[in-house]
Amino acid sequence: MNNYNFNKCDFIQNDITNLFDSYAGYIRGNMFPDLYNTYKINKPFEIVPMNKQAEDLTYINALCFAINDLNLYLDIFPNNKEIANLFKQYEEEKEEALKNYEKNYGPICIDNAVNKNNEWEWIKNPWPWENK
Amino acid sequence: MWKYEKKLAFPINITKKDLKLAKYIMTQYGGPAGELAAAWQYLDQRYCMPDEKGKALLTDIGTEELGHVEMISAMLYQLTKDATIEEMEKAGLGSNYAQFGKDLFPADAFGNPFNMTYIKVAGDCIANIESDMGAEQRARATYEHLMDLTDDPDVLAPLAFLRQREIIHYQRFKELRDYYLKKKENGELK
Repeated sequence: MNNYNFNKCDFIQNDITNLFDSYAGYIRGNMFPDLYNTYKINKPFEIVPMNKQAEDLTYINALCFAINDLNLYLDIFPNNKEIANLFKQYEEEKEEALKNYEKNYGPICIDNAVNKNNEWEWIKNPWPWENK
Repeated sequence: MWKYEKKLAFPINITKKDLKLAKYIMTQYGGPAGELAAAWQYLDQRYCMPDEKGKALLTDIGTEELGHVEMISAMLYQLTKDATIEEMEKAGLGSNYAQFGKDLFPADAFGNPFNMTYIKVAGDCIANIESDMGAEQRARATYEHLMDLTDDPDVLAPLAFLRQREIIHYQRFKELRDYYLKKKENGELK
């Protein structure tokens, strides 16, 4: 197994049309198939949500992940309009998903800390480091 | 400035208490190749980057690393929260308990407190970015060592995720380094 493709001094990512989708990229920690490199494990760990809320959060997390990975790419290759457009699409999809999630389960962003009954929902458990 | 999002970058749901492993994973919190050192190194270096690509990349990877600090912290919290004092003593964490109770404190796997000299800045964009590439490689190697030390899938999944992020960051830093080297060659950079 080539475990060191990231050490090739001439590695350039030529084909960026063939990216992972947001979930496949998320569980691999990487949107770019050419840069995917495993250690010890043969296939990525699937995220198995325990309930609908966890499933909805996984969907948002995957979109946020895709957005972040494309963000880093675009910092170095800001003229790639195809990737910039994909960034925009993921961003729109995430905004929609986030709005629905926060309506159903409470705030992720401080901007939506108050619900429609003027209740301060921000402080409610669980906090992210607590296992469900 | 920064804004908190009430979620983790990657879910941490560890069901099995493991104090020995927590002691090892500690190094990715407050050790020489840890997330805290990486975040601060990149965020310190961004101010003197010669152009907008460097300023953007260091800001954005530095920010991502802050999220990784939180992931490691969550792992440490979950691995230790149900431990008794006796169990902590047996796992070599008696001193931690004496000094910090169950609070988190950034240290390496030997218990040495986080040290700001882990952070490499040199006043030279090439030297700085090559330090960043080195930091990513050392972190990648450390994640592999940690993966060697556990079979728990609850722990392996986030470790594998973080390891892959080091590879991507390394690639982006390398692209930035090569771009600045070319600029230097063309006399566009002092």
